[in-house]
Amino acid sequence: MIQINNVRKRYSDGTEALKGINANIGKRITSVIGRNGAGKTTLMRILSTQLEPSSGEVIIDGLDVMKDTLEVRKKVCSIPQEATPIGILTPLEHVTLYLLARKFQYRDARREAMNALDSLGILEYKDKPSDTLSGGTKRKIFVAMAIASNADTVFLDEPTTGLDPVSRMEVWSSIRKLQSNLIVTTHYMEEAEELSQEVFMVEGGLVIEKGEVKDLLSRFRGKVRAESHTPLDGAIRISNTFVKYIDEDDASEYIRMGCTVKKVTLDDVFILRGVSIES
Amino acid sequence: MNPKFSLYFAWYYGFRVIGRGPSYVIASITTPLTLLFLVYVLSNGTLVQYAVVGGFVTLVASNGLTSASDAAFLRLQAKIQDLFIATSISSIDYMIGLTLSFLLFTVPGLALYSVLAILYHLFSPVRVLIMIGVLVMLTLSTSAISFIIAGAIKHIRNVWGITGILSIIMTILPPTFYPYTFLPKDILYVLAISPATPAAIILQGTFGLSPEFYTMIFVLIGETVVYLSLAKYFTRWREK
Repeated sequence: MIQINNVRKRYSDGTEALKGINANIGKRITSVIGRNGAGKTTLMRILSTQLEPSSGEVIIDGLDVMKDTLEVRKKVCSIPQEATPIGILTPLEHVTLYLLARKFQYRDARREAMNALDSLGILEYKDKPSDTLSGGTKRKIFVAMAIASNADTVFLDEPTTGLDPVSRMEVWSSIRKLQSNLIVTTHYMEEAEELSQEVFMVEGGLVIEKGEVKDLLSRFRGKVRAESHTPLDGAIRISNTFVKYIDEDDASEYIRMGCTVKKVTLDDVFILRGVSIES
Repeated sequence: MNPKFSLYFAWYYGFRVIGRGPSYVIASITTPLTLLFLVYVLSNGTLVQYAVVGGFVTLVASNGLTSASDAAFLRLQAKIQDLFIATSISSIDYMIGLTLSFLLFTVPGLALYSVLAILYHLFSPVRVLIMIGVLVMLTLSTSAISFIIAGAIKHIRNVWGITGILSIIMTILPPTFYPYTFLPKDILYVLAISPATPAAIILQGTFGLSPEFYTMIFVLIGETVVYLSLAKYFTRWREK
């Protein structure tokens, strides 16, 4: 269980990244979603003891991240956004070194590293220098660290950013294999829907929506999204696109009018909050 | 403390890297060997012993300083430092690991200079022991400087220029390749901001090339303590 109480962060250049985040995170897989610059990474870095908050309190399984830092670090694993492997080292060396930092014995570290790489389907690359590997495989090295870490709570900051659709699905599949409680940040709504039991939407340094995916989508029950490049009565304008939520029964009429009709997703929860879709 | 991690880090990031791409080793011995050649030619061989002793100092000091590039790269670009923060290791374990890995890069160069020192009959057991002590302190102090730089830098591109400039100012300008007696004492104290200065002066005295200058022993010890304390304070482990 993670309790976040009124966490604020103001950087030395004056940027106010978090303006008072409050949340209780208790599900096995939770997504923190929001646009670039919304404050997701700042929040993750505070939760995983990499960054000091300006004020507020974070309690992870009864431990205060500021006061009980060393204990928290034993229990969590944090994979930073845009972490890149050291080109000349192999995937096996990366995961082994990471586990040694977590006080594994060398033999155990190597065995667990091999198991994790195998579970991700990249064991065949274990001895290849990382700079010869594809982007997806490089990313999986870090997911392998999370799998092998045996941490109670794993933080993954945008684990699939920049990956092609196949690699993303592979990483999702790997993430589901994690036994730990998992907090994932993403700006891909379908990723949050696919993976998580609970979602926190962050915008402008605040949590603007929270809840289970099915509850967030329940307000759209029986509705679909109609999009058009020409004005529609009662539509929301997002750049040059007009968006309107219509009854499913009216969909064929809107298609005849030249609209594109789509299934409602978490994107639409964002749209209703006045936030444009991540392009 | 997790010394096992530091040793493994040095093994992976030092020894393995040397095996797969020896450019680091070649780069680290290029400058001292070039200067040794220049000193030999320009002094008609009379100052070559200074350049051999200075070569040890330059090799270790420049490697220590250039480790700032890697420390900054691992923090800002690869985010490897962030990865290690949420584990059981401390900033000291990480610093020692990176320092040891860079020390490994200097081993082939030190071996080469040892051969030269033997050829010029510079070595004796006592001199070697003193030299090892001086080089250990030089490694600690220059690595500490590199961590201070790496922790302060916000954009990775800046680090390449800064370490290049510092490497020259802090290892070539001090009396590493010429007798320290060529310079007035006031200038020596100014140059002593670089740990390479007291290290070179101590070794010139130890190897019987110049008069002993005992004050520099205290300068080197003091600098090592001060730079290490500053590095511990400034190394951004949990950022503010």
